[in-house]
Amino acid sequence: MSEPDLATETPPRKGPLGLERPFLQRRAEFEEALARNASARGAEAGASLPRASLWGDAFHRFMKNKASVVAAIAFLLLLAFVIFVPWLSNEDPYALDFSQAYQPPSWAHPFGTDGFGRDLLVRTALGGRVSFAIGFAATFAIMVVGIVYGATAGFLGGHVDNALMRFLDALYGLPYLPFAIMTLAVFGTVNFWTMVVALTIASWFTTARVMRGQIFTLKQNDYVRAAYAVGAKGPRVLYRHLLVNTLGVIIVFVFLELPGVILGEAFLSFLGLGINPPKASWGTLAQDGYTAYQAHPYIIVIPSICIAWLILSAFFIADGLRDALDPRTKET
Amino acid sequence: MALLEVEDLRTHFKTREGEVHAVDGVSFEVEEGSVLGIVGESGCGKSVTSLSIMGLVQPPGRVVSGSIRFEDRELTTMSDKDLEDVRGKQIAMIFQDPMTSLNPTLTIGTQITETIRRHLGLSKADAEKRAVSLLEEVHIPDAKRRLRDYPHRFSGGMRQRVMIAMALSCSPKLLIADEPTTALDVTVQAGVLETLDELRRDHGMTMIIISHNMGVIAETAEQVLVMYAGQIVEQASVTDLFDRPEHPYTEALLGSLPKIDDHDPRNDRLATIPGRPPDLLTPPDGCRFAARCKYAGMDSCAAEPPQLREIRTGHWVRSQHPASERSAEPVGAR
Amino acid sequence: MLAFIIRRIVWTIPVLLLVILMTFAMMKLIKGNPFQVTDRPVPESIQRNLDRKFHLDKPWWVQYLYYVRDTARLDLGPSLVQRNQDVNDVIKEHFPTSIKLGLMAMGFAIIVGIPLGVFAALKHNTALDYTAMGIANLGFALPSFLVATLLIYFFALRLKDYTGLPTNGWTGPSSWILPTIALGIYPMTYFARLVRGTVLETLQQDYIRTAKAKGLRWRIVVGKHVLRNSLIPAVTAAGPVLGGLITGSFIVETIFGIPGIGKYYVTAVTGRDYSVVMGITVLLSVIIIVANLVVDILYGYLDPRIRDERT
Repeated sequence: MSEPDLATETPPRKGPLGLERPFLQRRAEFEEALARNASARGAEAGASLPRASLWGDAFHRFMKNKASVVAAIAFLLLLAFVIFVPWLSNEDPYALDFSQAYQPPSWAHPFGTDGFGRDLLVRTALGGRVSFAIGFAATFAIMVVGIVYGATAGFLGGHVDNALMRFLDALYGLPYLPFAIMTLAVFGTVNFWTMVVALTIASWFTTARVMRGQIFTLKQNDYVRAAYAVGAKGPRVLYRHLLVNTLGVIIVFVFLELPGVILGEAFLSFLGLGINPPKASWGTLAQDGYTAYQAHPYIIVIPSICIAWLILSAFFIADGLRDALDPRTKET
Repeated sequence: MALLEVEDLRTHFKTREGEVHAVDGVSFEVEEGSVLGIVGESGCGKSVTSLSIMGLVQPPGRVVSGSIRFEDRELTTMSDKDLEDVRGKQIAMIFQDPMTSLNPTLTIGTQITETIRRHLGLSKADAEKRAVSLLEEVHIPDAKRRLRDYPHRFSGGMRQRVMIAMALSCSPKLLIADEPTTALDVTVQAGVLETLDELRRDHGMTMIIISHNMGVIAETAEQVLVMYAGQIVEQASVTDLFDRPEHPYTEALLGSLPKIDDHDPRNDRLATIPGRPPDLLTPPDGCRFAARCKYAGMDSCAAEPPQLREIRTGHWVRSQHPASERSAEPVGAR
Repeated sequence: MLAFIIRRIVWTIPVLLLVILMTFAMMKLIKGNPFQVTDRPVPESIQRNLDRKFHLDKPWWVQYLYYVRDTARLDLGPSLVQRNQDVNDVIKEHFPTSIKLGLMAMGFAIIVGIPLGVFAALKHNTALDYTAMGIANLGFALPSFLVATLLIYFFALRLKDYTGLPTNGWTGPSSWILPTIALGIYPMTYFARLVRGTVLETLQQDYIRTAKAKGLRWRIVVGKHVLRNSLIPAVTAAGPVLGGLITGSFIVETIFGIPGIGKYYVTAVTGRDYSVVMGITVLLSVIIIVANLVVDILYGYLDPRIRDERT
């Protein structure tokens, strides 16, 4: 295992009783190594104009990576499917036609029909819209909360940082699904917004921790000191120098969190806590399909494959982005 | 017959941009009991040469052609299994960075005894006894207790001594020391070199020492190879090389060493060799040093690759303008 | 080292308190009208009982302290739905099943995942590597409800005559197989990918080159030098894996009709049995926290550098 880089390693955190928490630190190391590497390029590029060369270079490196390009295309295809199919289709996704119930995939209905005779191609696409909407909204919220929390902790440092991070570590002790379920129960109903909030509340920890690590590390750079020396005030430094340099990490995390959130929504829906009909998401479609899978397996298979498609493409995009933003990754 | 005979060794690395000719036609012999020094700057191929001898070149690199004969056995065609028998027992190697060259999760004792038990088949107790005596030989105090320690408990210099002990544990005939002192503090370097020398004489070992530091080579080696851009550019005994260097590169190397007693004001700035080594993806057609050479003639040097020739007994050089053949002012001096 | 262990254990207490506080706070938020969630009015005697039990006349922080005290005494209160059952009873009835399933799934994940990762790394960039990682990626991406459903569909329904596996229930060893695999696949992929990464990284290390230079047999190099260093992170990963198992068990238990704590939790939530919900959540948190603790301590024991730091 490599020696820690003394200049940039986040110091082992001492808790209130003066001990370190290696487990949580090790687990965070994966996330922080990602973050640290991605930011190093930004740090090297200097303060005010990192964007021009950084993004151009990164874009080229990303394009060279075959897996990432394929993943990006797959992701865009999925988005296109979700956006355009309902728009272009003549089928009414809400029309009930029991004579057409449970038709297996055919030319008329490429994805078949469900128990109410509704065309599944369109329903899947519409469901995708809902899933994506929830996904993007929740991811956005996670980013906002995580960035604010983490950047505050990292930037302010000292006791504030300590307290915030202790609290965060405690939150890790709460199991994901139960926590989300309880949040939904607090709201009483499950609609788009409550789902977004529930998912956000259960998932923001990792982002917060990584952002804190990032800001904390970047803060120690000389160019930050230089900025203060010429009279820049705190918020300006934070925004202009620190956050800007974490953009790369943030983007990678968007693609890491998005599938997690969509999967979480799917799980919750599957357990019966999903969005109310007739609005559907992939998760609720899967749940519908589950009730009839013995005779008609395709109903559950199709939305699940959509979810898997999303997860895989997002994951490989994140991988590619991470490599693209960090020119020093080893060739293995 | 020499202990080690390397003939026209070529080791290339396949990269996305093409094939890098890291070692491109290297030949030399090492007589039993002698010390060969290989000197050159980073990237000249000296480490890759030593790794090629041991069969430790990792993909994407591989030995493309050439012969490496150790005690009249051909190493390049040996099976992995046979090579494993040779390594550690007949030929041993110590590496540059003692911090990372030892397994952090195993005790020193385990790492030494595993080699001994592997090659000499000793029992655990006997192997440990031998390990203790080896540690004592390399001047590690409190050896018996230290066997139980992990590498991070040792300082850099001591770790290197442990590496030496490990390498010598099975009394190899040949020891290859790849930059053994480069990662160490200057104050520690001398001690380690001394230990190496002492052990070499005590065990009657042959040694190849690789370094980019001329001082280290001057101290330790008997014969010296100067490498540049994957080739040998000069070969001589150590005294002859330092007294009368022939190749412009060697001269430049020696010239760039700061001298403490040099009062000539013209030499107040450290001399450097302008330019950079050539790209080994597509090595130049002619002399590889031509682009940086003071004496390079415009036509022949850049077009024709010079061959290694014996300019006087025991002194070989690969250059069209070796020192003893230069008459008047340098042609095309820069 | 002992001092470290003690300190580490002591440190979990504030974490537990915080977790209980959060769960308690959430429950308080849900409890608008906690006892009128069903259409049937709550009988007077039960109402009085519950009031006393939950100290509803006292300020919230007192209620919290009472809850903490009760929890420490392992008294999690009565079930709101099953009128004659305590939360503890519910747990005792259902929890062992979940533990068993969880352990088996973990075992499956380790026994299959780790060797898979090791081989993929050793045969890096060959067909074996790609296949192994392809399987791993698929297992990681496909939602567990699909995997579970497909497993049932193929092995229990279609191939019923060949395998004789039940689709449902928790009756004998044959009924354990499919749920274990369904639950274990996701953690298996996690381990496989993680171990592959760490082994690949370890293989690049200088000390592996030293080991080879010493002439050690390759299988010794791998078994002794490579694995020892690359499996340590896998141990550390047990924490998030455990979290995933808990999450996953909800789905798997529901699909396979296994009477475990996960299935009961879902029933409790939909049935608004808040004390059960809280009790189980706290229990699950305790498990996660304890698991993290164990892993932390184990990690120090395994890596000699950390061991030294701590003594």
